[in-house]
Amino acid sequence: MSKIMTVDILSSIKGAEPSEAVSQLFDVIKNAHTSNDNTFNTSSINAVSVNNLRDDIVIESSTTEKAIIKENFPREKKGYLVVSKVIEE
Amino acid sequence: MESQIHSLHQQLVKKEISCVDLVKGKLALLKSNTHNTVNSLLENTALELATKVDKKIASGETIGLLEGIPFGIKDVYMVEGTYTTASSDLLKNYKSAYTATAIQKLLDAGAIPLVKENCDSFGHGSSSENTIFGAVKNAHNPELVGGGSSGGSAVNVAKDFTIFSIGGDTGGSVRQPAGYNAIYGLKPTYGRISRYGLMAYASSTDCVGPIAKSIEDIRIVLNTMSGKDVKDQTSYASAEIEAPSILNADNIKTIGYFKNFIESEAIDETIKNDFLSTIEKIKAKGIKVKALDFFKSDTLVSTYYTLAMAETASNLSRLDGTNYGDRIEADNLKESYSVTRSEKFSEETKRRIVGGNQVLSQGFSDAIYLKGLALRDQISQNFENDFNEVDIIISPVTPSVPPKIGDSLKDPLAMYLSDAYTVGFSLGQLPTLTVPQGTETGLQITAAKDNDELVLKFANFLKDTI
Repeated sequence: MSKIMTVDILSSIKGAEPSEAVSQLFDVIKNAHTSNDNTFNTSSINAVSVNNLRDDIVIESSTTEKAIIKENFPREKKGYLVVSKVIEE
Repeated sequence: MESQIHSLHQQLVKKEISCVDLVKGKLALLKSNTHNTVNSLLENTALELATKVDKKIASGETIGLLEGIPFGIKDVYMVEGTYTTASSDLLKNYKSAYTATAIQKLLDAGAIPLVKENCDSFGHGSSSENTIFGAVKNAHNPELVGGGSSGGSAVNVAKDFTIFSIGGDTGGSVRQPAGYNAIYGLKPTYGRISRYGLMAYASSTDCVGPIAKSIEDIRIVLNTMSGKDVKDQTSYASAEIEAPSILNADNIKTIGYFKNFIESEAIDETIKNDFLSTIEKIKAKGIKVKALDFFKSDTLVSTYYTLAMAETASNLSRLDGTNYGDRIEADNLKESYSVTRSEKFSEETKRRIVGGNQVLSQGFSDAIYLKGLALRDQISQNFENDFNEVDIIISPVTPSVPPKIGDSLKDPLAMYLSDAYTVGFSLGQLPTLTVPQGTETGLQITAAKDNDELVLKFANFLKDTI
């Protein structure tokens, strides 16, 4: 299944269009020379060891935290978050 | 040893000033200021905390060094119960439900938060003009920009409205405004301070950074905020930097600078001459200076912005007005996302999100995003090699002096290119400090990863040398 998606769809921003200034930055990358030496890789340096992962435990939020989360709801009804109609495609 | 924190601490302990009077004085300055540095004041909390400090002193209890010291917070940090807007329209009514680790450590040490500070929306900008709270005006000339994105924080420190402020630096957002307002601003080694509770821009380079008027105050605040945090898996445990250890720079034998930064056509002639004159003064002290090769400025800027845009597109995809933030209702959920994001994000934020989604999309990712990652690896390798030859690298902070308010927004490409000297050190995740010396917009001092101590040492040396 292949479908061309425009940047406004990809970005969920109505009417969004690519920028000329940003395209000029991308052109520099396209034309840049990269070596084939893959001995140095920052992504592996930043990776977290499996032994160093934090414990997979549920931490209960405080009462204040829960209250503020609800206060931030854009629309609320009887303590529940109200969202627009969900459509299936 | 110059330190506003030590000096105020002494005055509090000796009861020469009360903490309430100190806090009231700073709040009055912040309220009446015309530099647009304030998004919201934390007046009630600050006065309550100050009263407690005064009671403690009155009862003869010992207070910690940071206890009662007023500070500012860039409005991208979560502080429970406070408005945290990121200077954006979308989050203008958003309240933090929890507190960032770095800020919590300062609160635990007794420092008093006064203000959430103006900045470029979501950190997207180099001038603090991309904000719903009005362009931040430079501390020394209000016709000029305050720099960005942590412009409000830098101006507050420069104007003595706060004793120190906590900015955020992704590609230069602490160092550049520090340079524009002639104060100190540190981007520590990536991971030295937890990012938990810092609103994410580009997660692989986002750093919490202290801004202050002295090297000693930078050291104190850095030590307080540093450390491993289970809530940020990229954070690491670091040794405390002791005060005496940064006073002697005898072990710094060789420094380097990037010759293409100085030979660039884009550099202001005065900044170039002042920088070269600084190099001569350092040489005169018996330190060897090496001219180093580095990547071209446009490659650095393009690599940084390609990766930062990709990361910000992902990080900001959560902002759709569903669970929090301002929502614009539409016919269905997807339409509501699309209209909300279109109306509530600034032009610059939308430009970066769209750019990020472009480079992550099929057909573009290999040619641009993955190539950007490969370039970043080469840049990091270049730094590794350089730090085998030199102890410190110094650079100008910016190629030009601060622009007039209104000029940066007209030309986004020029704004991106103005970050040429700061973004490389972000990609390398290296500790880099702006000092208010050497050129009109200061100097950057950079060392190898986790060598933040050496940066502060050299800053002390420069303070006495130039």
